[in-house]
Amino acid sequence: MKIKKGFVLREVCGEQVIMGEGLGALDFGKLLCLNETAAWLWNRAVDAGEFSVDGLAEALCGEYDVSAEQARTDVAAIVAEWQKVGVVE
Amino acid sequence: METIIYNVACNIFSVSADEKFLRLLTNYEPFVVKGTAGMSAESVGEKPAFALEVVSEGAAPEYAEETRQQDEGQEIVCGHTAAGDSVFDFFLGKSRSGVLVCSDGYRRGKLYLSGYADKFAIDNSLMVMYALATAGSGTALFHSAIVSQDGRGYMFLGKSGTGKSTHARLWLRHIEGAELVNDDNPVVRLQPDGAWVYGSPWSGKTPCYRNVAVPLGGIVLLSQAPYNRITRLSGVQAYAALVPSISGKRWDRAVADGLHATENALAMGVKVWHLECLPDEEAARLCFETVKGENK
Repeated sequence: MKIKKGFVLREVCGEQVIMGEGLGALDFGKLLCLNETAAWLWNRAVDAGEFSVDGLAEALCGEYDVSAEQARTDVAAIVAEWQKVGVVE
Repeated sequence: METIIYNVACNIFSVSADEKFLRLLTNYEPFVVKGTAGMSAESVGEKPAFALEVVSEGAAPEYAEETRQQDEGQEIVCGHTAAGDSVFDFFLGKSRSGVLVCSDGYRRGKLYLSGYADKFAIDNSLMVMYALATAGSGTALFHSAIVSQDGRGYMFLGKSGTGKSTHARLWLRHIEGAELVNDDNPVVRLQPDGAWVYGSPWSGKTPCYRNVAVPLGGIVLLSQAPYNRITRLSGVQAYAALVPSISGKRWDRAVADGLHATENALAMGVKVWHLECLPDEEAARLCFETVKGENK
């Protein structure tokens, strides 16, 4: 899957926030606050273009001191949230 | 063709048009830069933010549509030409009023009038260019009613029909010293000493075109409720209250970056509130006493 066009991650008052700015994302109408891990994963997903839960989980293990099992659980939960609000396709 | 130079919130711009069109611009008269008659915008000294040329002959170029925005019987179709210039096609009801073509980062604009509702097309062109050409310089054109009281400005935000103008009127009636600065489209600028709010030549249905500036004392997001209650918004909540009230073309990354910087600075530096209210005197007094109390 990949991040939909038009969604950007910005720093708002010290927090990491996803917003819809591009054509096709203008009707998003909300702000999605990300914690540090989720923001890091978002940037990896943007860099990757096409991404998967397994790929992101592997990247997370390389960056943070976390077990493969825990990484996969965390990434799956974060990506599920992105799917729920409709910022990935 | 003649040129008039204006200054709105310390942003200089020029309008060049036939005298019969310039004569329509009475709402801009308080903003004319004195002693600039016959001068070009470039020769005024300060760098102009943008220049608009208005023509009633010639055909606007073809363009590809990007998106359209509708509001209260008006519509703007946004697009771009094959050469990459930005296009804004203004409709009032179902009829085209004019087509604005912008180049050079919205610093140059040419408006092709259709002959229908000329003033509408000129006002809309200037608002669009103003919002976009100044987005990178700490300026935001708001959709808001703004009242001054004791040397500070208090802005009321909310969706169309929420009662911004109504709440402003309640302040004028019940709060001593309250004056209307602008009823619909004030400008906020980040200055070295904080955020200031300015009157503008655009004020919706209320003719209130005052060339005045006051330090911004507070921003109040309004929503209708069967009671009166005011709560402070901070951080991301304050930011979220501001964004829908600021004009922009956020799918242009440079414009979005500029507006975000301004919005973020305002969310951190200006006190923002949410007033759930009835259209009554108690709402105005509650709002005034709360926001004013914070400025003592």
